[in-house]
Amino acid sequence: MAKTPEQVVAEAADRTGRSPDSVLRLLQEVNREFGYVPHEAIRAVSRITGKSAAHVRGVATFYSFLSSKPRGRHIVRLCSTVSCEMKGSSEVLKALEKELGICAGNTTPDGRVTLETTSCLGLCDKSPAMLVNDVPYSGLTPETACEIVRGLR
Amino acid sequence: MKREVLLSPDQPELGSALRRAMEMEPADIAFEVREAKLLGRGGAGFPAGVKWVLAGGASGAKKYVICNADEGEPGTFKDRVLIERYADRLLEGMAIAGYAIGSDEGIIYLRAEYPYLVPVIEEARSRMLSGGLLGKNLFGGRFSFDVEVRMGSGAYVCGEETALLESLEGRRGEPRNKPPYPVNSGYRGCPTIINNVETFITVPHIILNGAEWFRGLGEDGDAGTKLFSISGDVERPGVYELAMGSTIGELLDLAGAVDIQAVQVGGASGRTIRGDQLDRKLSFRDLPPGGSVIVFNGSRNMLEVLRNFSDFFVHESCGQCTPCREGNRQLRLAVGKILEGEFCCRRCLDSFFELASVMKDTSKCGFGQTSANCFVDIVGGFLDLPEDCSRVHEQNPCHEGR
Repeated sequence: MAKTPEQVVAEAADRTGRSPDSVLRLLQEVNREFGYVPHEAIRAVSRITGKSAAHVRGVATFYSFLSSKPRGRHIVRLCSTVSCEMKGSSEVLKALEKELGICAGNTTPDGRVTLETTSCLGLCDKSPAMLVNDVPYSGLTPETACEIVRGLR
Repeated sequence: MKREVLLSPDQPELGSALRRAMEMEPADIAFEVREAKLLGRGGAGFPAGVKWVLAGGASGAKKYVICNADEGEPGTFKDRVLIERYADRLLEGMAIAGYAIGSDEGIIYLRAEYPYLVPVIEEARSRMLSGGLLGKNLFGGRFSFDVEVRMGSGAYVCGEETALLESLEGRRGEPRNKPPYPVNSGYRGCPTIINNVETFITVPHIILNGAEWFRGLGEDGDAGTKLFSISGDVERPGVYELAMGSTIGELLDLAGAVDIQAVQVGGASGRTIRGDQLDRKLSFRDLPPGGSVIVFNGSRNMLEVLRNFSDFFVHESCGQCTPCREGNRQLRLAVGKILEGEFCCRRCLDSFFELASVMKDTSKCGFGQTSANCFVDIVGGFLDLPEDCSRVHEQNPCHEGR
């Protein structure tokens, strides 16, 4: 049976501790488990660290890599900063949007892929670049990017 | 001039610098780094040795050594390359810092965009642990040191050292008021030094070769070498190491660039110079060299470049202080209006240059103090706008926004 947000937070707290310092790390664990930070997790982190739900939500919404809404099984983050744009990231984005049938910032209806644009990925020597989950891909063309995304199950 | 130390194929034996350091008095190491005039390689250029001397002298049973591996400046990737190749040297530099200031605990704050570097660092750490270069009672003495990797979660502002501390303590990455400075009250209120990846990797070389040697590596009174990440319209993008104080032209010759319209030094928050200013120096006394150099050829519309950077700043401002949060939004709106032709002369833009100077003077941290640079440099240096277009304004009053 799938774990509840409360269970995930409780288990993670055994590793991170329960001090207010742990708020971000707990949220990172929740985000890794569910792909986003559900409302129940906000309340669970609040209870376990003694910080207000407002404080926890403030942390959860500050960081780009934490999501407040459900996302796909795979997260594709295409760099949209200047060096990548100069090497054609806009064309790659258009191709990916067409391939997936969604605009950037959205998830495919089958929950397979979320497509996002992101600030500089630090791969500017091999632009354009994207991060698929934790794996970097660089030197992309519209074709190679679509091929990579097609391979995601 | 190309001068390789950090990237040299001829690397000193791992641990030799740490061993040498531990034969010295801790305070003498901090003095040596200060004498070397090693300026912070993340871009701010604060003397690393001064931080070490202050943190070493600060009172506190617990102290921390933090590596800022949150390079997020557009166009910067030197720290990624350094970690890929020299993660063990980074750990050695942090251990030397720990010995110098009296800390047994290091933390690497790694940006969320580099998750694939975690195993690289962990493998280096394992090698160091089994080689007796990290862990308890190093070289049989009383000094112990270990390093933990902590992940960011995607926030450019967390490269600002006090925002980084906030993030490490689990909060929103909003910069703190200074003072107190981290050397007195940093992570969890303890004396803390925060240095960039490149800064730590430079330290073992200084310990082995001396401050005087390091100072002599630079040009015209600048100390040491510097890594540059170069991208954009160049034939060979990548990381290059040059003597500090080298010219932009020397770097561009290595990377191969023609028809240069503009070069941006120090990333989006750095300075943008014209292609006829290639004799400008990569130095904290001229163009502060954070690490990013982006080249734009004659085919690029610099206003589109500015739009991209402005979007970046609007997205990444932490929102805590008004000059930065609202200032960047207003500058982004102005860029849009220039692109649409609504702002058509210098007079239309006077108030935005004033806003840029207000942001520089009144923003709380380095983010807001530098994010208007690209607006000032690109609109000021690359746009061919008439001084005034009052005749046009009579028919089309475009001064509304003032």
